Amino acid sequence: MNVNFRTRGLAVMGCLFILSLLSSIVSAAAVPGEKAPDFSVIDAQGDKSSLTDFTGQWLVIEWFNKDCPYVKKHYGSGNMQSLQKKYTDQGVKWLTVISSAEGKQGYLAPDRALKVAKSHNLNASRPFLLDTGGDMGRAYGAKTTPHMFVINPQGTVVYAGAIDDNDSASPAVIASSHNYVSAALDASLKGEAISRASSRAYGCSVKY
Amino acid sequence: MGVAQTVAQESTSGEHVTVRWLAPASFTAQASEKLGFYFEVDPGWHVYWRNPGDSGAAPRFRIKPDGARVGPIEWPFPVRLKIEHLTNLGYAGNVAYLFDITPKQGTKVVSLTVELEWLVCKIECIPGFGTMTLSRPIADTAPWLPADLALRDYFAEKIPLPGVQSPWLPVSLSAQGEERIHLLLQMAGTAKPPEVFPLNGDLFTGAKPKLQREGGTLDYIFERLPGAALSETAGFVLSDGSRAWQLDRVAFGAAMPEAPQRPLWLLILAALAGGIILNLMPCVFPVLSIKLLGLVREGHSDSGRLREGLLYAAGVLTTFAVLGVLLLVLRAWGAAIGWGFQLQSAPVVMGLILLFWLMALSFSGVFEFGHRLVNLAGVSRGGTFATGVLAVFVAAPCTGPFMGVALGTAAILPAVEAILIFLGLGVGLAAPFVLLCASPVLLNRLPKPGPWMEKLRQFLAFPLYATVIWLLWVLGRMLGEGGWLIGALLLLAITFVLWLGYNFSRFGRICAWVLLLIFLVTGYLALNRGNGEASGDIVSWQEYDRLLLEQALEVGRPVFIDYTAAWCITCQVNKKLVLDTSEVQQLFQMNKVLLLRADWTRQDPEITESLAALGRNSVPVYAWYPAGSKEPQLLPQILQESMITDLFNGNKN
Repeated sequence: MNVNFRTRGLAVMGCLFILSLLSSIVSAAAVPGEKAPDFSVIDAQGDKSSLTDFTGQWLVIEWFNKDCPYVKKHYGSGNMQSLQKKYTDQGVKWLTVISSAEGKQGYLAPDRALKVAKSHNLNASRPFLLDTGGDMGRAYGAKTTPHMFVINPQGTVVYAGAIDDNDSASPAVIASSHNYVSAALDASLKGEAISRASSRAYGCSVKY
Repeated sequence: MGVAQTVAQESTSGEHVTVRWLAPASFTAQASEKLGFYFEVDPGWHVYWRNPGDSGAAPRFRIKPDGARVGPIEWPFPVRLKIEHLTNLGYAGNVAYLFDITPKQGTKVVSLTVELEWLVCKIECIPGFGTMTLSRPIADTAPWLPADLALRDYFAEKIPLPGVQSPWLPVSLSAQGEERIHLLLQMAGTAKPPEVFPLNGDLFTGAKPKLQREGGTLDYIFERLPGAALSETAGFVLSDGSRAWQLDRVAFGAAMPEAPQRPLWLLILAALAGGIILNLMPCVFPVLSIKLLGLVREGHSDSGRLREGLLYAAGVLTTFAVLGVLLLVLRAWGAAIGWGFQLQSAPVVMGLILLFWLMALSFSGVFEFGHRLVNLAGVSRGGTFATGVLAVFVAAPCTGPFMGVALGTAAILPAVEAILIFLGLGVGLAAPFVLLCASPVLLNRLPKPGPWMEKLRQFLAFPLYATVIWLLWVLGRMLGEGGWLIGALLLLAITFVLWLGYNFSRFGRICAWVLLLIFLVTGYLALNRGNGEASGDIVSWQEYDRLLLEQALEVGRPVFIDYTAAWCITCQVNKKLVLDTSEVQQLFQMNKVLLLRADWTRQDPEITESLAALGRNSVPVYAWYPAGSKEPQLLPQILQESMITDLFNGNKN
């Protein structure tokens, strides 16, 4: 009979229990109608952005991976940049996030990210947000590139999902596609209800 | 992305994909024929079903027919492909997308021009584009290459049949809260529950639904895409692994009862009642009785006992408050969890099994443990507080049926209300003990201490053993057969460690410690491995089916048959150490081997017959049909990885 044997046994089991509790945490997502998850991410210039910086403003968050064919579809055609320009001109803020982990497809070191931002004519409000650890992506439940979120001035998610209704990789379909993001923003900015708050985000998986 | 110019554009290809026709050399007048686009995909890459799941895209076919009518694309049922954090619906190997074609009256030649677009993915994705043409005369017969016909038929078998023929009938479809959708199916006979694939990727995520089974009713719980609006109906494809059926328009019924609409006071009342009832649960009751008897035996004064009671209550309430705050913190981090979530994690269930096993052994008198457990903090004052803390933790496995509603609600209520519910549970749990401590009348009614207490303690071990059995069953449900086996083995190991630790001197105790550590770590690893398997990775083995075998042999595809049975230890060892290792699986996949598993656990005349044809009447038997050969080679009963490797080294061309 050894008291140590018992107490330490219990301690081991207790640790096991608590560890398992923590490991069973399921990641959630940004859900239309609910508060947007907070984030705190450094951009390619080294400045920090968080959700509270955009309180009182409309905000679009977009997930990006320069090597993804679907991102190429919307950037190669200039579709994404013109959306960025159209809405940032109307005072909407726009964040383009890279959640690719180091060593995975789409990862960009800060200096490289600045160059890619330039070569892609990025019209976002900040140079790429570099979410290398994937915390922001997971908090939002970002599944694909592109995955789009629209957040209202009160910090509530009003749209989450695909950029439009056509999951072809061909840029030729853009003209005939229905763009969910601009539909959501146009309706919101006019104070009207959004007809569609959610869709399946098509594209490549985010490379966490 | 280049378009192959060979064979008059009857095929096209892109990176990792070649597409060609499955079609006869001619058509017969006005007779409909089923054709296919055969996608040959590099090993490790996949293409998609009509609903591709969390990412990816279904292939597109723009068919321009001349001299014929063509039907819609028919999609063979998919598998779930777990790709990192996402689940896709698609095909892990080659696949044929089919459609019907009917030549128009008076047509001499039927021709088709098809623009294709597809996406092929491993982890990265590569889109492909191409154009294919087909031109066939009308003749008296429609002759097929046997290999192409076999392929066409093989995939035609996988096209879902009408839902009315399905062995499972939809009972109801309903949303529960904002996150879940329940599909209830009624099962006819004793068939295994089917895999269910939703047709609508705008409403359902690709994740494998959780399955709860109650008698003949199967409850599939799907994740709903965040914020997705409900449609009026939803369609599903059910598959038993070899055939499939399509439920076209299952109507959404009334929403499942959801907690938030219930008034707060009712919830707190439910929490209180739930807490009180918890006292009677086998998880809590033994601990409390022993503590209470301890108090009586130690001869406390009335006020002393009251103080003990209040200390216990403080322990309970503090723990509930801490758990409540923990829940809120987790929730604030964006975690969607509910109470009972611990029971969804295999290591936690295993931890509880160990805890109850040790308590039960202790109650049975195998070793002294229970008393000390409740006296964790040593002295009686801290001890009673610790009992309170412990009571909450040991109550966890018994919470489900009684407190589920209250706690489920707490997970989504505003902070203050959530904490109130937690405290309500605590008050309920603590109340009976405090009452007994406070009222000498009640306490005096308790029987006097005596030898019966020992018997009672021993008796109370039995509910604990029952709890252990129940939790082992839960583990089995989570991980499949391996689950309870790992669990039971770990219990055996721990019992051995106890024996070693309590019956030998210093050296024995050191051994016990080392062994304990090894067992816990291997147990934990085994559980996690089991977890992965259960969560639906790529299934490489198919159930033995003579037709499947014949078709594969017909087209010259290599086949490996594993004749096995659950009761055959050698089979299990071979499976774990050789057949199901990732190296061997990769090798099989690279060589496009059809893997068939003939499970002889129960008597099966077809398998018995097939074994007899090989001149065997026992398992294991490993039959290998090299590519192009119709004669099997038999492998030794004890497999080594090198034997499998040799199969391909000798055969590589």
